[in-house]
Amino acid sequence: MIPTDPQERDMLAGEYVLGTLDARAAAEVAAALPQDAALRAAVALWEARLAPLARLALPEAPPPDLWSRIEAALPGAGQGLPRRAAPFERRGSGSARRVSLWRGWALGASALAAGLAGFIVLRPAEPPRLMTVLLTQRDQPAWVVEADRSGALRLASINPQPVEANRVMQLWALPQGATAPTSLGLVPEGGRMTVTPSAIRAAPGMLIEITLEPPGGSPIGRPTGPVLFIGRLSAAGSS
Amino acid sequence: MRAEASLADLLAAVAADDRSALRTLYQQQATRLFGVANAILRDREAAADAMQDAFLRISQRAGQFDAERGEASAWLGGIVRHAALDLARKRGREMPTDDPTLGDTAVAAEALDRVAADAEGRRLRDCLGALDEKNRKGILLAFVHGLSHAQVATRLDLPLGTVKAWIRRGLLQLRECLA
Repeated sequence: MIPTDPQERDMLAGEYVLGTLDARAAAEVAAALPQDAALRAAVALWEARLAPLARLALPEAPPPDLWSRIEAALPGAGQGLPRRAAPFERRGSGSARRVSLWRGWALGASALAAGLAGFIVLRPAEPPRLMTVLLTQRDQPAWVVEADRSGALRLASINPQPVEANRVMQLWALPQGATAPTSLGLVPEGGRMTVTPSAIRAAPGMLIEITLEPPGGSPIGRPTGPVLFIGRLSAAGSS
Repeated sequence: MRAEASLADLLAAVAADDRSALRTLYQQQATRLFGVANAILRDREAAADAMQDAFLRISQRAGQFDAERGEASAWLGGIVRHAALDLARKRGREMPTDDPTLGDTAVAAEALDRVAADAEGRRLRDCLGALDEKNRKGILLAFVHGLSHAQVATRLDLPLGTVKAWIRRGLLQLRECLA
């Protein structure tokens, strides 16, 4: 039974986080958590209080095959099929859309060539509405993504790095609350592109990510490769 | 700080069923988290099972992560610890505990300096330092190695009946000290 006395409940939450409850008591707490917001908050507080103790466990490399085991156990594993329509194909004529996206990149590239190269620093007259800087694992800025008022998203590489052989980078957007990322296309050589997605609208908090994919991009319309970069759009100048 | 921001972003992508984000999270965190599970289970096979359970839970619950209520690394660590503890309980916590040196590293005085890697850690270290030695050791052995009350009692040579009360008192003092 979960006690009603606040003091007892908080101690129970602490012991649950510490791990000293026996199997039955721990299962009772775990079962009560989804319905009991106050208990959930107490557990979260204890997790935050004690979290630094996890540094006392010595890091250790897991068995090399562990990720493939995990992946095989995930729901939907082994089907090899997308569970949702690929974004490119969503509107019926996939190849036409792909062509129009390519045209969009070409336009973007020439617009940039025509003098937008310094748009971030040198042309603040019409500041970009939303932007994010994607960092490398070593916290070095690698990409700038910005959305202007027309809804166009521009990607620019700050520090171009070679992609590994036989792989391409693919740009994705994930609006808050969306159930799947939407492909914005493959990142062209040189790392600059502009795309005006029709299905989504840039908004603060929207995640932008770049993944590593096989040639031609993800075959299933959702990311398959590791996430190389990820960041959130926010109002320019707010961070 | 940026690493934390990116972990939270990856979790948001995982909540939208982004498998690549889950794999990237795994690649970034697996060594740390496997260490957390293995400290509790002290058996690499079992720790791998716990990691598998934990990553299933992470994929299902990523949407519940709330950056206002704590850091993403702590949230992930909590899920892995509970997966490992559940497995330890299922096995009746029959892992070897007769190792007289078990937990020596975790309870060594200098180990607390590893806790103090940031501001929260320093506060926790200072508050732990203010506890009686046996309260402190009991809490560390339970958290890091998943020892039950009975196992803590054996390890610290205390009567079982008092261990539960000692640990509770320690938690209470910690809560007040950290408030």
